[in-house]
Amino acid sequence: MIKHHPSHDLLVAYTQGELPAALAAGIAMHRELCPACQADIAQLNEVHAEQHFELAEAEPIGLDMSAMIDAITSSDAIDVANSYQHKTLTVNGVSYQLPAALNNVAAGKWSGIGGIARSRLSLDDGDIRASLLQILPNNSVPEHTHNGFELTLILDGSFHDDMGSYVAGDFIMLNGEHHHSPVTDEGCLCYTVLNNSMHFNKGLNKLLNPIGKLIY
Amino acid sequence: MQAHSIGLLPSNAIGIKPIAMKTETEKTETEHQQLARWLSDVAGSRSKAAFTELFKFFAPKIRQFAISKFGNEALAHEIVQETMTNVWRKAHLYNQDKGAPTTWVFTVMRNAAFDLLRKINNSKEDCLSDDFWPLMEADDDPVADLAEDKNRTLINEHLQELPEAQKEVVQGFYFQELTHEQLAEQLNIPLGTVKSRLRLALAKLKQNIGDNHD
Repeated sequence: MIKHHPSHDLLVAYTQGELPAALAAGIAMHRELCPACQADIAQLNEVHAEQHFELAEAEPIGLDMSAMIDAITSSDAIDVANSYQHKTLTVNGVSYQLPAALNNVAAGKWSGIGGIARSRLSLDDGDIRASLLQILPNNSVPEHTHNGFELTLILDGSFHDDMGSYVAGDFIMLNGEHHHSPVTDEGCLCYTVLNNSMHFNKGLNKLLNPIGKLIY
Repeated sequence: MQAHSIGLLPSNAIGIKPIAMKTETEKTETEHQQLARWLSDVAGSRSKAAFTELFKFFAPKIRQFAISKFGNEALAHEIVQETMTNVWRKAHLYNQDKGAPTTWVFTVMRNAAFDLLRKINNSKEDCLSDDFWPLMEADDDPVADLAEDKNRTLINEHLQELPEAQKEVVQGFYFQELTHEQLAEQLNIPLGTVKSRLRLALAKLKQNIGDNHD
């Protein structure tokens, strides 16, 4: 059962279209798996619509708008709805069904170290990086912290760390104060968003710098 | 679906509202019905008169939203144009049972603004907004069913009836799982053309399959 959801503030920013693409995608994927957040999002859309279209007083547009109306209505073409089929992804012999939010997002080549593989997604925005991360069964990511934030959304499988256990749909937002070391027994596929490279903070793990670079 | 069943002002609440509120509620409901009728006329009969009414209602408000958000008159003009173009082209996707017409237009406007800003700030023309904020619920999308594996054979049969140009985008997208961008590059055609061909092809497939199997 999903226990971790985006904060109310994040849902508000999402419904206002104010988040960077990588975070908006993360919430869209969570939304596909979480009926509770789906209902909250629908309600926020209603609230924003009311604010902008019913309560707000707008000045009339001074310019003559008939040219724009003529231009728009001169074509009879219509747009068919986006198709919400799910793509299938196979990595290291394991197949996953991807969320519809990623239908038009290009994924880069997979690279890996040990039981961890990563593909960068074309959702970069400034220093924000989004990736798909596969962790094979009985593997872990060494303990690390972040200078910025780290969003992990489990798309398939599960993992646990010293704060608890997480399943598909869980939306886990961490900041620089958190240390964690996720371990997966059954393996998992995650969508991750980071805005700064990770810092590995224990002895030998400092040598694991390549993993920090791999995951970022 | 639960997500869209939440009305701003549920009809069963009218009876317990004070008189002043009741008037406000009725005004909103009348307004919603009128807007929904215009949307339906645009969708059903491509009515320019109905579109002009929608334009008069929404355009000044969209412009105000965009100016307060971005403080830029030129950008606001583009957002008005993009939003109203999408209202014209997508009106058939509005479903009155799913929510108020104002909410639907808000979604269209928010999506247009997001795609436009992503284009300006990141030089990305990937138009991801309708994937991140669906204009309609996924489980009601008849096209989604087409992509189920069990339907692949059926699709394959009907694929042969499509013009070559549409066939190759459907094959690339569904069977080779290429992205719109990859297809545009591979076929050396603009991204918009890939998307429109795919949409036309799916509409046609859906129609042909429906004809034979209803």
